[in-house]
Amino acid sequence: MSIQETLDANVDADVDWEKARAILVFLLPGLTLFGVFSVGPMAYSVVGSFFAWDAFEMGAFVGLQNWSETLTDPLIINWDNLLAFTFPMGALPQNLLWMVLHVPLSTVLGLVLALLFADLRGKRILRSLVFLGFTTPTVVIGLVLLFVYDPQAGVFNELLRVVGMEGQVRNWLQEPQIAIYCLVAGGVWVQTGFSMLLYSSALAGIDPSLLESARIDGAGPFRRFKDIIWPLVKPVTAVVVIMGMIWVLRIFAIVYAAGGPSGGPNHVYSVLGLEVFRAAFSIPVEYGKAMVVALIELMFALPLAAYIARMD
Amino acid sequence: MTHISLQGVTKYFEGGDIVANDSIDLEVEDGEFLVLLGPSGCGKTTALRLVAGLEHPSEGDIHFDDERVTDHSPSDRNVAMVFQNYALYPHMTVRENIEYPLKIRDVPPEERDERIEETTELLHIEDLLDKKPAELSGGQRQRTSLARAIVRKPAVFLLDEPLSNLDAKLRMEMRTELKRLQDELDVTTIYVTHNQEEAMSMGDRIAVMNQGTVRQVAEPEELYNRPRTTWVAQFIGSPPMNLIGGTKRNGTVELAEGTSVPVDASSDSGSDTDSAPVSLGVRPEDFSVHGDSTDADRAITGTVETVEPLGEFTIVNVDVDGTSVKAKVPTTGVERGDRVHLTFENHDAYLYDERGELLP
Ligand SMILES: Nc1ncnc2c1ncn2[C@@H]1O[C@H](COP(=O)(O)OP(=O)(O)OP(=O)(O)O)[C@@H](O)[C@H]1O
Ligand SMILES: [Mg+2]
Repeated sequence: MSIQETLDANVDADVDWEKARAILVFLLPGLTLFGVFSVGPMAYSVVGSFFAWDAFEMGAFVGLQNWSETLTDPLIINWDNLLAFTFPMGALPQNLLWMVLHVPLSTVLGLVLALLFADLRGKRILRSLVFLGFTTPTVVIGLVLLFVYDPQAGVFNELLRVVGMEGQVRNWLQEPQIAIYCLVAGGVWVQTGFSMLLYSSALAGIDPSLLESARIDGAGPFRRFKDIIWPLVKPVTAVVVIMGMIWVLRIFAIVYAAGGPSGGPNHVYSVLGLEVFRAAFSIPVEYGKAMVVALIELMFALPLAAYIARMD
Repeated sequence: MTHISLQGVTKYFEGGDIVANDSIDLEVEDGEFLVLLGPSGCGKTTALRLVAGLEHPSEGDIHFDDERVTDHSPSDRNVAMVFQNYALYPHMTVRENIEYPLKIRDVPPEERDERIEETTELLHIEDLLDKKPAELSGGQRQRTSLARAIVRKPAVFLLDEPLSNLDAKLRMEMRTELKRLQDELDVTTIYVTHNQEEAMSMGDRIAVMNQGTVRQVAEPEELYNRPRTTWVAQFIGSPPMNLIGGTKRNGTVELAEGTSVPVDASSDSGSDTDSAPVSLGVRPEDFSVHGDSTDADRAITGTVETVEPLGEFTIVNVDVDGTSVKAKVPTTGVERGDRVHLTFENHDAYLYDERGELLP
């Protein structure tokens, strides 16, 4: 078909109004929900972030004031500490640091476990055990971590005592410079279950004769992984990585359960979600700031979500 | 060039519940094209995988020439295998697929290119090099898979029903092509199929398998002319050989209803007086159908049940005392319900004893 013909066909095509109306009718409930619960709040926040707020009541237009105040708030970004890399660095850098550690760790760990379990007899049970972490409510994970790192009763400190490192025993979640890493470890445990499950099903989808063929071609385990398995599970990696990033961006319950609304002593492991919560629901209510922080979160998450949605 | 030898090779699965291969003894000569032929599920693929090293035998040993390879990994055996489903790497182009075994074995790039060119020309796929397997037709995939096997210059080819997914015309073409290739390359080849026509036309020798064991290994001609057991006799040929129960006595076989057929009793004249139950086997194509009475020595009488004209020839189903006997003749004037006589030559008759073994 020539370009001209294609154009003609599209331009002159009779629109089937009957059909269009039917489609619209079916889309209406979904679109309504989407509008009320997704687009609406987003638009509301964008507009609201340019206004002054008295508790939950919108006041005068203040331009970028909410934005500049938020971005210079040391609870959001503490530039001095950030440059010296000492905690607290503010919720935004801490949240990003969390992401940088959490995503590669949980992805690699999930892949390694999936590979390990692939040919194992009790793989169903092992997989269920690892996946249990992901099904557990995150608040519970936070409480569990609190317990794990407890100086007296905690499993982790007990372990240190057993291996003869009594000197290291401490309340890990109260150590300003270490606490966030301890929490990241807990988050990784959660996300590993998820990435392992995705990788497991991706591995199960690989035709075993491909690996056998590679063996006959002379490939050892490492080459088989590098040349066959990895390229074939790569699409899953994109999903795992992005879902992990979004998960960390939205993280809240673990941190809240482990460190309360302040996010640990002196906010050392506060994250964006926690700042939104504090700004909106603790006295004094700073609704404008809450909106700004939520929008910052959204700015990171939206492109990621869009990438996932457009993958085929 | 490699001589392959399987000695008492047995393979169990599921802790012995499934016996896929049952003490197989098999010798494959240097440069030979050996076909493993048998019905579905008889253990052909398992035997091939044992030779490839993808499975480890539960019992027995496998030798390549004088070397015991039972414990060698597939990559140490220098075999190339074409899988039933081709097993092309979906994320690689045709070129990368063919190149992969060379890359793994550190063949220098210039030589790789040379060999790829050579091989793809041989298989007429030089135009497909930059395509992914998903973009190929079944025949093209199969040739790519063959190319990947050939390019290695392996000691042994193992082919698992490589033509089963092709249409009839392409299959015929590839059959000839494959056979020519193997002649040219002179590589020891084991070829698995359940298609006897394929086996007969391609194999230097055929190993007929059933229920995990090899029933007979012979050249196609011999397999057709001297099937050693009733099972093999009925497996080879289309339609299969007729088997008519009877009793052997005094150099004749007495079939039911008083028909008796003289057979050569030269070899075991000593036991002539004993009678023994036997099966008389005659291939459908060795029967002649006569409407009138005949004075031939060897004739079986029956009633025509159906006549199936198939163009090239006609199959006449004759009821002989409740046994359905098939005759395959070029043309015939007989019709349903006719009384007919089926005659055959002495050398076309086979006698099998009670256990189904061919009597000498
Ligand atoms: N990995 C396995 N685990 C359990 N049983 C198996 C396994 N591989 C093969 N078998 C069994 O061994 C028997 C022989 O299988 P095999 O695949 O060798 O048959 P085949 O002759 O190649 O059949 P087909 O012509 O259908 O391909 C079958 O009964 C099959 O169920
Ligand atoms: Mg098979």
